[in-house]
Amino acid sequence: MLNIYFGNMPEAIYDTASYFNHTYLDSWAEDKLTKAILKDIDKAEVLGPQAVKSKALGVIPMTKISGGAKTLLLIDHMPEKVFNASTSGDNCAKWILKIADLHKEDITINLHHLMNFDPERKGKSFEFRIVNTGTIVHNMKEYVLAALPLLGEENSG
Amino acid sequence: MKGRHEILVKDARVQYKFAIERNITILRGDSATGKTTLIEMIGAFQRNGDQSGVALKADKPCVVLYEQNWELVLGTIHDSIVFIDEGSPFISSHDFARAIRGSDNYYVIATRHSLYDLPYSIKEIYGIRNTTRKRYQGTKRLYAEFFPLIDYETGSSRNPDLVVVEDTNAGYEFFQHYFARFHIRCISAQGKSKIIKALIEEEYNTALVIADGAAFGPVIERLLGLRQVKDFSIFLPESFEWLVMRSDVLNDNEIRTILDAPSEHIASETYFSWEQFFTEMLIDRSRGTYLAYVKNRLNKTT
Repeated sequence: MLNIYFGNMPEAIYDTASYFNHTYLDSWAEDKLTKAILKDIDKAEVLGPQAVKSKALGVIPMTKISGGAKTLLLIDHMPEKVFNASTSGDNCAKWILKIADLHKEDITINLHHLMNFDPERKGKSFEFRIVNTGTIVHNMKEYVLAALPLLGEENSG
Repeated sequence: MKGRHEILVKDARVQYKFAIERNITILRGDSATGKTTLIEMIGAFQRNGDQSGVALKADKPCVVLYEQNWELVLGTIHDSIVFIDEGSPFISSHDFARAIRGSDNYYVIATRHSLYDLPYSIKEIYGIRNTTRKRYQGTKRLYAEFFPLIDYETGSSRNPDLVVVEDTNAGYEFFQHYFARFHIRCISAQGKSKIIKALIEEEYNTALVIADGAAFGPVIERLLGLRQVKDFSIFLPESFEWLVMRSDVLNDNEIRTILDAPSEHIASETYFSWEQFFTEMLIDRSRGTYLAYVKNRLNKTT
């Protein structure tokens, strides 16, 4: 199940782009999911373990893919760690849900903003646990009402 | 620093063209839109100038501020436009807010965090979009610009049965008197950070939120999130004082001129937020007249 901790979380890895640059393994590029994420988010094709061809930037090394894609690959390949997923835009939300579905173990992410999990799911239900309160939410209404109080000034870093 | 500043950054593959006109600008939006690429290009130009291969045109120096020793480095930067990429935790700190208050720089910050210590406007939260059109076909370059991310609809067309006002003083008094005419309950949230709580806890069918847009940036995203599940309209003028002056009640040509282009008159080193400027201006311009304005009590004439 996906777990989300809202607000300041000291043990979470905050600068995910830098962390990715120093921990990425060539084997990650062989995954179907990695290829699908890069195709969707970065409009990029994986050429090999160290390079992708991006529509916008041409052939670039893996260290130059978008911050959102880096965070998604970290969540997928290091499920035991907690990453700051506020480095990902709303276009990454569906991938976070998908990664959590594909993993048998719990995945935990840290959010500092109200990520929108709904647009491309068009009202389809989801399920995740809000770690701060233990609440399990199933739709946008439950999610928004549970998460908003945790994102106030008093809970900011 | 004051005024509007146009910036053009380009290399062989991508060109960004945008303008900055307040002390704090926030960049957010979807992933892979080019926020980091823009800031990396500015960083490359900062290190090696024209020899970086990046071309940068602006009437003020553009610099990138990194995590390491940020406080020391920032102390050496003046009259510049400072860019900060996401992944820099110091931007949420009280120390950072203290450091940029009274600064003669403008700041462009890429983050999805709500920066509660910084009074940024709902109008200065941008995304980046690709504007490459057919006329550019045949070139390899991608053209990009900033676009306002908070393009909110006023909201429900139903009459409100509750009005929640950010202000506690003259602004609240004004709206309370106004809505009493229509027997509509009007409450003060006692500050922008408590508006969300009021909207969750109060009972209503349809509410109206009135707050100062000039410094409402840290709250707007949560407010729009809440509107997915609650029914309320939003009215965000720059500030109550701006609204009074915009109504032209003072019949003052100079006020009209300033309100048409506030950025030309508001120095970042003096005013952390435009709402402070508008308050001072209304007090100053109405002093000694029967319309004299004080913030803590409504002039009954108004």
